[in-house]
Amino acid sequence: METSESGLTRREFLGLTGGVIVFFAIPSELARAAGESEGGEAPSFNAFLRIAPDSTVTVFTGKVEMGEGNKTALAQMVAEELTVPFSSIEMVMGDTDLVPWDGGTWGSTSVRFMGVELRAAAAEARDVLVEMAAEQWGVPPSALTVSEGRISLTSDTRTCVALGELSEGKEIRRALKGEPKLRPVAEYRVVGTSVPRAEGRGIVTGKEQFVADVRIPGMLHGAVLHPPSFGARLTIADTSRAERVSGVVEVVREGEFVAVVAERPEIAREARQSIRADWEEKPHPSMASLWDDLRSTAELADTVTEEGTVGSVLEAAERQFSATYQTAFVAHAPVEPHVALASWQDGKVTVYSNTQTPFLQKDDVAAALGLESGQVRIVVPRVGGGFGGKTNPELAIAAARLARAVGRPVMVDQTREEELTWNYFKPAALIDIRCGVNGDREITAWDCDVYNCGDRGAEPPYGFANRRVRSFGCDSPLRQGAWRGLAGSAITFAIEVHMDEVASEMGEDPVEFRLKHLDNDPRLAQTVRAVAEAYGWTPRRAPTGKGVGFACGIDVGSRVAEIVELEVEAKTGLVHVSRVVVAQESGLVINPDGITNQIEGGIIMGLGPALREVVHYENGRILTDRYSKYPIPTIRDAPKIETVLVPNPTLSPQGAGEPSIFPISAAVANAIFDATGKRLREMPFLPARVLAATAA
Amino acid sequence: MAERKETVSFQVNGVERELKVSGSRNLLSVLRHELGLTGAKYGCGVGECGSCTVLLDGRAVRSCAVPISAVAGRSVTTIEGLGGEDGLHPVQEAFLETQAFQCGYCTPGLIMSVVDLLRRKPDPTEPEIRDALAGNLCRCAPYPRIIRAAQLAAAAMSSSGERHGDK
Repeated sequence: METSESGLTRREFLGLTGGVIVFFAIPSELARAAGESEGGEAPSFNAFLRIAPDSTVTVFTGKVEMGEGNKTALAQMVAEELTVPFSSIEMVMGDTDLVPWDGGTWGSTSVRFMGVELRAAAAEARDVLVEMAAEQWGVPPSALTVSEGRISLTSDTRTCVALGELSEGKEIRRALKGEPKLRPVAEYRVVGTSVPRAEGRGIVTGKEQFVADVRIPGMLHGAVLHPPSFGARLTIADTSRAERVSGVVEVVREGEFVAVVAERPEIAREARQSIRADWEEKPHPSMASLWDDLRSTAELADTVTEEGTVGSVLEAAERQFSATYQTAFVAHAPVEPHVALASWQDGKVTVYSNTQTPFLQKDDVAAALGLESGQVRIVVPRVGGGFGGKTNPELAIAAARLARAVGRPVMVDQTREEELTWNYFKPAALIDIRCGVNGDREITAWDCDVYNCGDRGAEPPYGFANRRVRSFGCDSPLRQGAWRGLAGSAITFAIEVHMDEVASEMGEDPVEFRLKHLDNDPRLAQTVRAVAEAYGWTPRRAPTGKGVGFACGIDVGSRVAEIVELEVEAKTGLVHVSRVVVAQESGLVINPDGITNQIEGGIIMGLGPALREVVHYENGRILTDRYSKYPIPTIRDAPKIETVLVPNPTLSPQGAGEPSIFPISAAVANAIFDATGKRLREMPFLPARVLAATAA
Repeated sequence: MAERKETVSFQVNGVERELKVSGSRNLLSVLRHELGLTGAKYGCGVGECGSCTVLLDGRAVRSCAVPISAVAGRSVTTIEGLGGEDGLHPVQEAFLETQAFQCGYCTPGLIMSVVDLLRRKPDPTEPEIRDALAGNLCRCAPYPRIIRAAQLAAAAMSSSGERHGDK
């Protein structure tokens, strides 16, 4: 197998005959690629686009579409620069044999990084074609106009040619080096419009394929044996009964990996239950001691920021405040569980997988099975929601192993119980904040320690002159990893509740108090003002009894501010969020309806960990293993949401998938305080906690 | 251990089907693995998420929780059969119009639940919409749009019903 440095096979390269191809790279991605591709050469580009002789445009990128709308937004950005219709852009995504290396779809990077480079590549391709036309017609490039996918003489538009025709069947390759001139924002016709998703019709008709919908003739289904608790070692397994279950093809055992392969998933699962296995279990910490355990195992991981002299300013401050905030372990709980379908041909395995990180998974599968990287192809169709939770390779590895063992294609799909048990979780977070306030009611010193959750969003958005933020790593009782916005939603909860506490204690209006500390960030200040205006905010000192709360934050370059209205049922402690007004500034908006959809979804998803969601565990077992025990928000929980997109079209597009989830839990906590006069510093705000606080 | 199979006849999307299957198999498994109808999705297997919703004799059921033996002689409509040969059902149109989805995995189940609701209540109030769809979970959570889609479909169906004089 001949493989190019990018992972593209020679066949695929040769398949692209004619047209203009522009390769381009995201510098940070390349650096990661160089670090992560073991032994192999680092790629020199991350994506490319091709304008075919018939003027169709194809974009090749390793990003995947999980519902966030990147497929639509990226195509819009290309269509804009090439002045062609949105419908003429084809997106080839997430197939490791067809697209160059990519670090994965997470961190709201698709539009912010990939999109910006893709747009430049499209502009470069356009400029190349303009130069060619200029040469052909013996005029300077400045005498030409590009519009409607055609290049024409500005003085006589009857002399014109379609973009693709110019290559005349030759292949022209360019690597994007400089920064080509982009079309002026004022002339945009595709970017900035709410183009509906091309996949919409497939989705509403049930025809859009997810991994679980892929069928390969002769395929079987596998179910992997799990230990009764985390980390248990398999000592004895008697699989004889499972082997006799009708419909079972084979029980595969490779070391401690035991799995049943059968004609259908339910047969495999039923047979799995009849495996008699003995396990050596290990002791696990109790959920009751979580917070003490985190503190006692904490080790300084990073000083995120240290400015000025925090200690002495704190000591000298007129008022000092300190509080501790806690957030529970939370699951991703996408409705589509993890699934992988593996099929071998000529010593190479193709794995259909619903992963956010196809190229990392390719390496993981190769390493687990002792294969060369070129022997693994990962294909990612549409993913049914990721939220940071679909980066683990276990299912893909299991499917590849089982398919190799039985010599037929094998799909391994998780049940809901497995999905809620055997994935990693959003880390529980413990956050200590101390701050000092001077005679002008300004925070002059900020000291924040965050435990166990990483440090995304730990840098406060405010211009505190003296500040120190430290991040501590701890021994986590559960496997933990990325979750929409990483630690940001937990730390923003702490920062924004603390700001609200200080404002209220100092007799300040919560919105004005934030603005007072935002001279350093005019974009956030403008966003705060925008949400206050949209809501009709009037200066107040909480608690007012009305149940209105404010919070704001910064993430992935975007600025976001939210105002929540809610009611607290005095008898039950139940919290009903009825209205959210949100303002978000994300630079240039590619698709207003798409970004609004993301903002709304992030807010409602965030209400889950704010109000109800807790992963319960005991003795190394997850107890919250079905939706009725792990109640994610339903349509009954959805508030009315009014979204303001704060315009800033001259700034490059910023991340949009995650920011809105950052302030929501703080806004809810602050609204509960406004309603009841009681502070809740531990998420979620369960009825029992609300009742306990209001009774105190 | 041999699987006891029985012959079950029923209609799917207007077509008569006769299958030899174990009577305890659930309808979702039969649709997805015997009939190639993958529009209804697996989400929980215990009727808690709604992504497998189909219509059984016109009423929404969680197909993961319906044994195939209970379907004998009855009529099943899946998302694939909703719009018929030409075009989309008004509820599908409304979901497109409002872009009431993100990843789209739970969308077929939601659409079937809205169809069922509008059959029972052609002009539902917002609380009625919320009640009817509370069993259809969606982690991407474009719920406000889903409410708008249900309202839009209700309006479209009632005006077309009036136009055709069949109301």
